[in-house]
Amino acid sequence: MKIINELYAYREMIRSLVHRDLRGRYKGSVLGFAWTFINPLLQLMVYTMVFSIILRNGIKDFYLFLFVALVPWIFFSSCVSAGAGCIRAQGDMLKKIYFPREVIPVSFVTSQFVNMCLSMIVVLAVLLIAGYPIRFEALVWMPLVMIIEYFVALGSALLVSSVTVYWRDVEYFMGIIVMAWQFATPVMYGLENVPEKLVPLFRLNPMTPIIVAYRDILYYGRVPQLETLISAVIFGIVILFVGYQTFSRLKVHFAEEL
Amino acid sequence: MKPENAIEVKDVTKSFKVYLDKGRTLKELALFSKRRKSTNRVVLDGISFDVEIGEAVALIGHNGCGKSTTLKLLTKIMYPDSGTIEMRGRVSSLIELGAGFHPDMSGRENIYINASIFGLTKKEIDDRLDDIINFSELWDFIDNPVRTYSSGMYMRLAFAIAINVNADILLIDEILAVGDANFQAKCYGRMQELKRSGVTIVLVTHDMNTVKSFCSKAIWINKGKIVTQGKSSDVVDTYLAYMNNQRILAINEERRRQMELAGLPADGVKKNDPAERKDPVTMDPTAKHFGNQKAVIRSCELLNHELKPVDALYPEEKFYLRFDYQINEPMDELIFGMGIYTLDGLWIFGTNTRLCDVKVNTKGKTEGTVYFESNPLWLMGGEYILQCSIIEADTTPCDYYNEYMKITVVKRWNEAGIIHYETKWYEQ
Repeated sequence: MKIINELYAYREMIRSLVHRDLRGRYKGSVLGFAWTFINPLLQLMVYTMVFSIILRNGIKDFYLFLFVALVPWIFFSSCVSAGAGCIRAQGDMLKKIYFPREVIPVSFVTSQFVNMCLSMIVVLAVLLIAGYPIRFEALVWMPLVMIIEYFVALGSALLVSSVTVYWRDVEYFMGIIVMAWQFATPVMYGLENVPEKLVPLFRLNPMTPIIVAYRDILYYGRVPQLETLISAVIFGIVILFVGYQTFSRLKVHFAEEL
Repeated sequence: MKPENAIEVKDVTKSFKVYLDKGRTLKELALFSKRRKSTNRVVLDGISFDVEIGEAVALIGHNGCGKSTTLKLLTKIMYPDSGTIEMRGRVSSLIELGAGFHPDMSGRENIYINASIFGLTKKEIDDRLDDIINFSELWDFIDNPVRTYSSGMYMRLAFAIAINVNADILLIDEILAVGDANFQAKCYGRMQELKRSGVTIVLVTHDMNTVKSFCSKAIWINKGKIVTQGKSSDVVDTYLAYMNNQRILAINEERRRQMELAGLPADGVKKNDPAERKDPVTMDPTAKHFGNQKAVIRSCELLNHELKPVDALYPEEKFYLRFDYQINEPMDELIFGMGIYTLDGLWIFGTNTRLCDVKVNTKGKTEGTVYFESNPLWLMGGEYILQCSIIEADTTPCDYYNEYMKITVVKRWNEAGIIHYETKWYEQ
C-alpha cells in the first residue's frame, strides 16, 4: 500500500516520463507524432498484402484476424524485451536521485500502453471500414481486458528489468524468449487450430486468455467467455505479485550494481 | 527521534564488494571461480550524527573517505548494511543536475520533466515556473530545445530547477561550481535564503571557505569513520592541519621515489637527524648550473626551524639553508648567494653574503659549510624556486644554480597574492 501512495506522490514524474517518451520518440522527424498512427497502419498494409495475396489461408480476412491480436501482443512483447533494459537505461538517474524505483518500469509500460491504445484507434477504424459491426455489448469488455494485460505486462517488466540489472544476459535472452512465446500464443492462429492434446498446455500461457479475449471482442464481435476472463485475471494477479516481490527485493542494491 | 532533529544517523555501516576481476559471464562463473575474488571494502564504519532542524552541516574529508556515500544513504539511493537513518520532512537532493533532460524538448518542457523527478506535482511546478525561469535568466530561450543551449545555460536551467524545489532537507554534493561568477554568487545567495527560511542543509564540498562561512557545523569523515564533528571553523582547521601534514609526507615520499629512480641513495634524503647523513643529496640531479668550478656547491639543503631537512616549509616558521661547498682552487674569499622566485620567474627575494657585509674566509680551506638563516617567509602556499650560488670576490660565478630546487610552501591562508601579512576587516 505504501508503494501505491508513493507512486501517487510521484504521478507527475510518471506522467512526464511517459510524455517525454511519446513526444521524444518521434521528435525531429517530419511526420512527428503522426508516426504513432502511421506505423500500425503501414504494418497492417504489409500484413494485408502478404496474407491476402501471397499466403492465403482459410480464415476470413486473415489480416484482421491477425492484427487484432498482434497489436496487443506487440505491447506485451516490447514490455518484456525492451522493458528488460529500462532500469539499466536510466542508470545515471537512478544512481544520483531518489525516487521510487518502480516509477521507471511503470512509466515504461504505461508509455507502451498508451502507444497500444493509439494503435487500437487505427484497428477500430480499419474494422469499421472493412464493414465489421462493432457490438457495444462486446466492446464494453475491452477496457477490462486492456487493464488485465497492462498488469500482466507490468508484472513481467518489473521482474525482467530488475533481474537484468544483475544479469545483463536476461535482456538478450528475452529477445529470443519473446519470439518463441509469440508462436506459443494464438496470435497467428486461433486456439481452435491447436491440436486437442496441446490445449491444456496453451492454457498455462498467461497471454493466451488475453489474446483470445481481444479477438473475441474485436474480430468475432462477441463477449469473451467468463472462463477466459477469470483465468486472465488470475494470471494477472500472480504475475504482478511475483514481479513486484522480485523487484522490491532487488531494488535495494540497484545503485551499487549499475 | 528527538523533536529538534531533522536527521538522525545511528551506527551506520556500508561496504561495497570490490571484484578484483569481475567475471559475470557463465564461462567465467563456471571456470574461474577462484579468480572472482572479491574484497569487501568498508566505506562507512559505524557513523552516527544528528542534524538539527534548520542547521547547515558540511561533510568534509579527502576523496574516497565516504562522505558522498553518506549523502547517498541519506537520499535513500542506497541502503545501509546496518544502522538506522531517520529523517523528518521532505528531502531533496542536489546531487545530479539536469536529470532526465531531453535534448530535443524545450527548456520549459524539461522543467516539468526534471522537477517531476524531484517529486513535484504539476500544480507545484506551475507555481514555481516563473521563479525557475527568472532564476535561470533564460527568458528568451526557454522555448528553444535544450540541445541548442550552451553548457552554461544548460547548467543554469538545471540548477534553477533544483534550487527551487521546496524541501525541508536539502542535500547538496559539490555542485556550486556552476556558471559564471555572477551566477555562482546568485546560487550562493539563494542557499543563504533557504538556510534563513529554516531549511536543513547537508553539504559535501572541498571548498573550506564555504564550509566556514555557510555551515555552522562540520563533520570530518576519514576512512569511513567520523574523526571529529563540531563547530565548522574548528573542524576545518583541524582538517586542514592534518591535510597539510599528509601533503608534506606525500611530497617527501615522491622526492624519495624520484631519487631512487635517479639512482641516488634514497635513504639519505629524509633522515630526521642531519648529523647522520654522510652523503647529502638534496640536490636536484637535473638542475642546471654554470661557473668556473673553482668552488662548487656540493649541496644546498633546506632545513626547517629545528634544523631538520625538509622539502616543504611552513610560511610562518623560520628556516635555514645549509651550503656544503668544496674548493678546487685555493681562494681567500667566497660570496654565497640565494634567491627565491615564483614559478613564472618573478624574483621575490635575493641576497648574498657581501650584501649583508659577511665575509666568508676560505683561506687554506678545501671544503666547508655555510648556514643561511631566514625569518618566516610569509609566502602564500604553492611552489617556489630556490636559486643558489657561489661567486668569487670579483663576482665571477664559480657555481651558479638558477633553479637549484623547488620549494613547497604549505598553504596557510586563503588570501590571494604572493605574500601574506596580517590584515583585518571592520564594519563601521
